[in-house]
Amino acid sequence: MKKFVYSLALALCAVLSSCDIEPLYIETDRNWKHTEPRTLQPTHTIQELAQMYKTGKPFVVNTDLIIGGRVISTDQPGNFYKSFYIQDETAGIEIKVGRNALYNDYKQGQWVYVNCRDLYVGMYGYKAGNYGGSGMVQIGFSDPTGEYETSYIEAPLLIDTRIVRGLQDEVPEPIVLSRQFPSSSDSQATSSLLGKLVTIRDMYYTRENFALLYLDSTKDKKLYTNRVFLSDTNGASGDDKTHGITTWAMSKSKMTEYLCAGLWDSCQIGSGSTFTGQTLADFRGDGTYPGVEKAAYSISQYFKAGTQEIQVRTSGFCKFADYEIPADVLSGQRALDMTGVLTMYQGSLQLVVNSQDDWRYSDTGEKIYR
Amino acid sequence: MKKTILTLFVLFAVFFPAAAQLPDGGVKGTVVDRADRSPVANARVEIFRDGNSGGLYDCDVEGKFLLAGYDDGDWSLLVMAPGYLPVQINITIAGAVRDLFTIGLTPIKAAEAKRDDSEQMEFDLADTGYSDAPTVLFANDVYSSIAGYSFGSVRFKNRGYNSETQDVLLSGVSLNDALTGYSPWSLWSGLNEITRSKASTLSMEASDFALGGYNGVTNIFANPSSVRSGLRVSALTNSAMYRLRLMLTYASGKKDNGWSYAFSASGRFGDNDWVKGVFYRSLAYYAGVEKSFGDEHTLSLFTFANPGIRGTQNASTQEVYDLMGDNMYNANWGYQDGKRRNSRMRKTFEPVTVLKYEYTPSDRFTSRTTLLWRTGLNGYTALDWYDGQDPRPDYYRNLPSYAYMEEEDMDRSNPDKADWMRYAWTASSAEFEKYRHVDWDHLYDVNAASPGGRSKYIQQERHVDQNDINLAESIRWRASDLFTLTGGVRLRWNRSENYNQVCDLLGGKYFLNIDSFAERDFAVSEAKVQNDLDYWIAHGEAEKIKSGGKYGYDYLAQVRRASLWANGRFHVGGFDASVGVSAGYDAFWREGLLRKGLFAGTDDWGRDIIIDGVNLTTRDSKGRVVSSKGKSEVSRFFTYSAKAMAAYTLVGGHRIWADVGFFNDAPTFSEAFISPRTRNSLMDGITTKKTFSTDINYQLSHNGYNARLSLYYTRIWDQSDVMSFYDDSQHSFTNFAMTGISQRHMGLELGVSVPLPVQGLSISGVLSLGEHIYNSTPHMVQTIDNSAEIIRDEDVTWWDRTPIFKIAGYAQDGSPIYDQDIQGNFIITGYKKHYVGGSPQIAAELALNYNIKYWFIEVNGQCFARTFLEMNPLYRTDYACKGGDQNPGIIEEMTAQEEFAPAFILNASVGKSWFVKGNQLGFSLSLNNMTNNRNVRTGGYEQTRLIASSGKDRYYRFPSKYFYMPGFNYMLNLYFRF
Repeated sequence: MKKFVYSLALALCAVLSSCDIEPLYIETDRNWKHTEPRTLQPTHTIQELAQMYKTGKPFVVNTDLIIGGRVISTDQPGNFYKSFYIQDETAGIEIKVGRNALYNDYKQGQWVYVNCRDLYVGMYGYKAGNYGGSGMVQIGFSDPTGEYETSYIEAPLLIDTRIVRGLQDEVPEPIVLSRQFPSSSDSQATSSLLGKLVTIRDMYYTRENFALLYLDSTKDKKLYTNRVFLSDTNGASGDDKTHGITTWAMSKSKMTEYLCAGLWDSCQIGSGSTFTGQTLADFRGDGTYPGVEKAAYSISQYFKAGTQEIQVRTSGFCKFADYEIPADVLSGQRALDMTGVLTMYQGSLQLVVNSQDDWRYSDTGEKIYR
Repeated sequence: MKKTILTLFVLFAVFFPAAAQLPDGGVKGTVVDRADRSPVANARVEIFRDGNSGGLYDCDVEGKFLLAGYDDGDWSLLVMAPGYLPVQINITIAGAVRDLFTIGLTPIKAAEAKRDDSEQMEFDLADTGYSDAPTVLFANDVYSSIAGYSFGSVRFKNRGYNSETQDVLLSGVSLNDALTGYSPWSLWSGLNEITRSKASTLSMEASDFALGGYNGVTNIFANPSSVRSGLRVSALTNSAMYRLRLMLTYASGKKDNGWSYAFSASGRFGDNDWVKGVFYRSLAYYAGVEKSFGDEHTLSLFTFANPGIRGTQNASTQEVYDLMGDNMYNANWGYQDGKRRNSRMRKTFEPVTVLKYEYTPSDRFTSRTTLLWRTGLNGYTALDWYDGQDPRPDYYRNLPSYAYMEEEDMDRSNPDKADWMRYAWTASSAEFEKYRHVDWDHLYDVNAASPGGRSKYIQQERHVDQNDINLAESIRWRASDLFTLTGGVRLRWNRSENYNQVCDLLGGKYFLNIDSFAERDFAVSEAKVQNDLDYWIAHGEAEKIKSGGKYGYDYLAQVRRASLWANGRFHVGGFDASVGVSAGYDAFWREGLLRKGLFAGTDDWGRDIIIDGVNLTTRDSKGRVVSSKGKSEVSRFFTYSAKAMAAYTLVGGHRIWADVGFFNDAPTFSEAFISPRTRNSLMDGITTKKTFSTDINYQLSHNGYNARLSLYYTRIWDQSDVMSFYDDSQHSFTNFAMTGISQRHMGLELGVSVPLPVQGLSISGVLSLGEHIYNSTPHMVQTIDNSAEIIRDEDVTWWDRTPIFKIAGYAQDGSPIYDQDIQGNFIITGYKKHYVGGSPQIAAELALNYNIKYWFIEVNGQCFARTFLEMNPLYRTDYACKGGDQNPGIIEEMTAQEEFAPAFILNASVGKSWFVKGNQLGFSLSLNNMTNNRNVRTGGYEQTRLIASSGKDRYYRFPSKYFYMPGFNYMLNLYFRF
């Protein structure tokens, strides 16, 4: 029996000593593998890439076509979302990554190289016809639905292998514009200003803006019965087409405040020329407008630099969405110098600022928000 | 024959003083069952000195023994009986026969003789999605002894009841969690030897220590004299949880001078074969001392804790398991510096200290008073981040299904993108590990590049640190042979601090104390997003939290509880009956220690708080101020319960009995507050939970034949629940408070043990056949977490059933065409019931046992069926069933409850113990799931999210998450008792 017990004890010891106990990391060791920046040699400029695009024909890149440039946008304050812009000497372009908080990985001024193999090049914002025009060439992934020419890249492996982070550098100096602007038919293929960081001087407010609201977030947002255009004269009075909005955009709480103040009661439900016959006043209820989605909304505020109209597009989700536009700017008495990424949407120029610091008084050069 | 020998011995000792040549010393006493003090027949007593046996004697049918003729000096007495744990007592003989009065033996389960119960693994399930607990081992009940031990692998719940229905006491004090009601097994895991001695009751049977509810009472004695005396050392290795457990225990037993003391220490270490990232680094200790003053007074003091860290496992969707080719995949960990690091770890150190006084003026009356204090730290780590991408590898946006699903209407139509995602999961190259596991390097990279050292990613530690003081007094008065009265008083004072702590800044210097969820809605209001508004007002900026600092939320859960109970038991001939009642008072409230910007409340003078023209004081729909700081309204509940039992025992080991009871219990803190991390709001309409339960039972115990058959019926109603989830349609985190939940549990339990003609061979089997269903239409109120705004207030229409609509035919594409009545309503032909999930409704085991000469061998096969996934209520609302009025198939699809496939498990175990000069050594080896079945789902949950169709005319369900049973695994235990 003793032999058996000893054998058993030995067997147990053997089992225990043979345990392959995985190294475990549980304390505050500070060692980690830092990802070093990489530099690739671009094979094409951004403009050359944009010139490969033909209107209405997005294409997949099947070669190691590499572009490179410095990051000029940031999604930290929230006015850019899930994408960022890079620019080289020839133009700028949006990389539709499809992930949030990109500024953690792609910082303003940092060199980024995009190997476009397997990625798609397409355009967003093109509209044919007299009231239309060009849009912006973008890099993304395929969109089999056909709704857009590109979709977000999103797949982490694709992002990591195709969008290469390079060295940190200074943010490019914005190009100062006052009177020379791209035309409605320009894209990055033909204009070296589009997609780039620019400063536009002497911009005056035109007392007009645009926003698209939805009645019910749980219903199809393409249905005209679910849409409310705060646009042009719909809900406006006289020459004032601001719809009572005095902020750059509107957060959820600000939108609720505007709505419940009854500012848009005369707005018709519908889109384009198709209306339901109802107005927002019909949804007033107990004053809380039940059935109307209270959410953050982007707004395009219309400015003019000389004769050039420029829409200042601001997201309702950004940190400065509810900042009041100064009264003397709203009244047209003072002009602003604005710095942002210049884009084209249906032939109209748009400017998207990175932060509230990108708005300055033209006459003094001071930031409008301190 | 044995009785004759004993009688002759007594006669010899009494009538033949000529034997005065022999020494006069000796010892006598009565061996009784510790649980009910009934005599233990067939007990054996062996007396030792210096390791040499002085004789082995059988007790009589009344458990009495008399050993005479022994020299003066120190002796040891080993008392053994079938079905009981042996006890060793140190005595001193000094010239006379010493009367030990009674020696209590602790019942063990029938299988104890063949299996060492220190094998039991520890469960701490709060972080796994499970809410059950290891089942207690019962004495002399063939059903419970098998079901309680063997069915743990599938998280079997006794009669389908939740774990909080089981009363778990330590030295007479109820230790069910004051905030959740969960049973507290994790408090003493690793101290198996100390907690081995316990008394358990089944169903509605009252114990000596508490009236209990409808799912039994377990009292763990844990005082030093209850610990098996002697030195015990054990080493255990297993492949399913941790590699090694070492345990050392010494107990003095009750010494002649009235002192007893006991110590225990154990350690559990290592990972396992099945779930990567799960590991243990846990210690446990116990120290206790006890002194008896005469035969009447006993005072004991002991303390224990199990400080340690262990890595946990999470559930994933089947898609993830399939991508990994491994149903045991764990997304919680990733490599850092070449080592596995788990983001989710349980860190505990909760010392429990007990002072107990027992007064036994006679063998008819016992009074026990226990003061228990639990304190310490209980943390659970997780990744937290501000303005960063979700770092969890199995986040749904990282999965191929996010890009492509076959159902076109789900608007996920990009197969090429899905292929890229799939490749990252399935490629064998090590460089892709970062896509399949937590990419710690990236988190450090982000923090290192963050301006000013502000960490974007941290490892947080959520704490629930309890200060729990309990006073329990119980008495047992055997008024006569016909009537015994038990009763007691229980008082509880609990103050638990709930807070979030920065555990590791992951290379950064600080974490900013702002609410990232609030920022989504109120990004423009710096005040609104503050987690600590008072700090922000005082310093003009949010606090920069360093490692170890508190952030996010910090509140006290205050619970006060008092109760009285009494139980009278009558015994006449073969007839037993008992009647018990209890009454109590429960109160609880929340006390916020931080003022959040979202729910700032009012200032000290009751005025609204206005900052920069923005009024931060919010009110709910009834005009009440919603506040995060200060004391909430106090919830008060009067509770009561009553139960009765009647039994009749027939000659031949037959017993029939029935129980009935009604219970009116208070809801728990966690069931009452809508969002305790953010505000003081209580759920409206919350009330006490009511339960009616009854059962009827038959038991046979005769000549080695054991059987029990029970039929039970239980109805529970007026339950409430609250959960929080991200509602995509609202773009907000929301709270979902549900009231009016009812359940009905009914079924049968059968256990049989039959000896076979071959000596030592027996066959046993159990069957649990139940129907545990939901049977009400609860009401729900959904609120936005950031604003307390009510967005839905309606019934959960399909909570308890799925309708079956009549099909008139099928379209060309095979889709059903539903029949309508003349009013155009779709015709319902019936309903499918919804079951209480997480435990099989059918469980069975058949075992062959061979048990001889301290060898045991067992082979058993188990079958589990009718296991259902726990439901979330969102899918059962009319809102989630949108489109069902046009296509009733949507209702069928959204409300259906998932049933797991039946499972068959084959297990075996073998063991042997040896007694050498009073010492015992032995081993046991368990081989579990020998067919290596790796497809047995043991639980999981439905994700509370919806996928909108492309036309937004209906919703689809998010895929559910599951836990699986490990494949073949073993456990080897080697133990020595000295």
